Amino acid sequence: MGDAQVVRLLVFRVGSLTCAAAAEVVREILPRLDTTRIPGAPPVVAGLVNVRGTLVTVVEGWKALGQPEPAARTEGGTTVLLQIGGGQKTIGFTVDEVVDMLAVAEETLEPRQALPGLDPKLVRAVGRRRDQLFVVLDTDALLGPVLTT
Amino acid sequence: MDLSQYAELFLAESREHLSACNQLLLEWERHPAAPEPVGGIFRAVHTVKGMAATMGYARVADLAHRMENLLDHLRRGAAGRRAGDDVLQLLFRATDALEKAIQVSAAGREQDADVVGIVAELDRAVQRFAPDTAPRHAPPSPPSPPSPPPEVSAPVVGPGRRVRVTLRPEAPLKGPRALIVLKRAAGLGTVSQVQPQPAALEAEDFEGQFSFWLAGPAPADLVVATLAAAGDVEEVRVDDDAAPVARAETGAPLESGKARHIRVDLRRLDALMDQIGELVTARGRLNQLAAERRDPMIDDLAIQISRLSADLQAEIIQARMTPVWQVFDRFPRLVRDLARDLGKPVAFRVEGKEIELDRAILDELGDPLVHLLRNAVDHGLETPADRRRAGKKPEGEIVLAAVRERASVAISIADDGRGIDRARILAKAQAEGLLDAHVETLSDDQLLRVLARPGFSTAAAVTSVSGRGVGIDVAMTKIRALGGTIDIRTEVGKGTTFVLRLPVTLAIVRALIAAVGRERYALPLTYVAETVEFGVVPITTVEGREAMVLRDRVVPLVHLRQLLGVNGDQPPARRPVIVIEMGERRTGLIVDGMLGQQEIVVKAFDAPRGTLPVFSGATIMGDGVPALILDAGGLL
Repeated sequence: MGDAQVVRLLVFRVGSLTCAAAAEVVREILPRLDTTRIPGAPPVVAGLVNVRGTLVTVVEGWKALGQPEPAARTEGGTTVLLQIGGGQKTIGFTVDEVVDMLAVAEETLEPRQALPGLDPKLVRAVGRRRDQLFVVLDTDALLGPVLTT
Repeated sequence: MDLSQYAELFLAESREHLSACNQLLLEWERHPAAPEPVGGIFRAVHTVKGMAATMGYARVADLAHRMENLLDHLRRGAAGRRAGDDVLQLLFRATDALEKAIQVSAAGREQDADVVGIVAELDRAVQRFAPDTAPRHAPPSPPSPPSPPPEVSAPVVGPGRRVRVTLRPEAPLKGPRALIVLKRAAGLGTVSQVQPQPAALEAEDFEGQFSFWLAGPAPADLVVATLAAAGDVEEVRVDDDAAPVARAETGAPLESGKARHIRVDLRRLDALMDQIGELVTARGRLNQLAAERRDPMIDDLAIQISRLSADLQAEIIQARMTPVWQVFDRFPRLVRDLARDLGKPVAFRVEGKEIELDRAILDELGDPLVHLLRNAVDHGLETPADRRRAGKKPEGEIVLAAVRERASVAISIADDGRGIDRARILAKAQAEGLLDAHVETLSDDQLLRVLARPGFSTAAAVTSVSGRGVGIDVAMTKIRALGGTIDIRTEVGKGTTFVLRLPVTLAIVRALIAAVGRERYALPLTYVAETVEFGVVPITTVEGREAMVLRDRVVPLVHLRQLLGVNGDQPPARRPVIVIEMGERRTGLIVDGMLGQQEIVVKAFDAPRGTLPVFSGATIMGDGVPALILDAGGLL
């Protein structure tokens, strides 16, 4: 790779979609936690969780990305804590599973492009892992609007 | 040497001296012939000068030095001469400039401190007092070195000597000063065996005496002169290693029993508070476990841990308590400046300065109080002419008072001005469509709600001071966010009083835990008046809202299931109504059941867009799952 820019990504699966978030905004990966509903919050918000004494709002990944509702959420599932707004706030994002941690050369990522069923504003780039496409999400654009300013 | 770590300490100490300056200037302004204020101001400015010089803030030190020159003339040369108003105003401006210079210097931007103009003004004023002597332009000079004691002035040979240094007892920032002395000593030879330990030099109770071993060829008189030039040094003694200590130690033993204070970074206290919160949560879990297990040994332990954590919690809360004067002290100056701008003489009194509040609450209180004080001076008080016509003394009176109540602190801002004309407010509110046309009188409560509407202003002309209608709005929002309330009392011709009630501490409160469907909500007990059973008291409808009649009073009802959008199974047949109360307002909350009372740790969370505005935060329950805290203010 030489001195090309290396991008570190966390790759995860939400429904049939393989996505990635920049590793520098990932604060923690946690199992699914018990949520408390927040009355009045938009439907994509799963609720409030307790992360070792800190309260974090969690967004339901499949709803935010327009994926079909998982058949039965019996066990498993993962909450990824992401920092948004340049580390100003932390928000949880539920995913079906964390797939991989990748370091890829920046030039191997293709700039955002139209993807079926996904708002292009949420896509930062598209990458390829084992011949499978994954979407690098713009987590600020995806999660920022959920919280009040 | 890096002194930046002392910048915060410097800032905090300077603030106290500046606050004293302002207080004394106000006193002086009121009694121009009094001799005491000028002496006090001189000492405060002198101390700031010393500290600034220690920190290397040349501009601050220079400005303080010019102020000192002028004050010195006023103190001595101009004895018998009353300080003219122009001089007093100059000193007020100079104090402001000093404060600004201190702030930017402590923030590491000393170059932004612009003192040229005010320094020139001060020098001109000095010249008026003493036209024959040019103002001293010399920067603050360190005190002249004391003559070295004769027994150590002989040159010393050998591997080294013990050097004993005593700082002047009144020297500020003794720790940094000692480090400066040590640094100078290091330029003369090798310094070792510093006593007390360098860490102790930085301690708040460091008395200013220390010694060290200096190895090197520098002659004793050079050592003495060099070290004394570090400033604030009372005495330097250099002992020959062969010679015994020339004089017996005369240092007084540490007084026992004197109150000892240390400055603690607020962030430390916040971190402690967070951890205590965690402990309280864990304690809740332990109690739950003990109740389930019915094991006497776990029980005993749970009780013991409960007691210990309760004590610890009380101690930490106490450590966070801060007297209100720390915020109130800047108000006399503020009111005086406003009163001058508006041409209204005001007698301003502060009562209950020593009442304590949690630091976090106190820090947030400054802005709302400023708004309310501005309102009082600008709108509350009439002009002197109007007051005379109304048969009042021309000088208006404003009293800011803090009083401790049961679990809260009441802070009132009272003026003896014109009062609020309810009829006018009512007409305006009706014209703006805020109230029904058939409302005939405004209760205190309705009045406050109308006044607090964003953008609602009664001032005929919007002044630069207030009257844009944001004052009460801002104050109310802030006080509510702190879990407090505002009440108003007003009488035409007699004056207006705002009363703010604030919880003594924010972090931990006793709360009622209510069940709504399968969800739990916490309700701070401060606002719970009583609970009654739903259906037992007669239900009526008032203005289209369901209400109950409780002891001849109509209490509107809120079904929390509906409000919070809780769906699911049928509500139980027997349900409690929790009556909450804030000022005169009461509301009954219909819940499904009550799960008991407990201490909860109030935590903030980033609310998603659309969250109902009825929550003041959230807490973590004994099982580790969050529960939202209902905000009485939002529900009423």
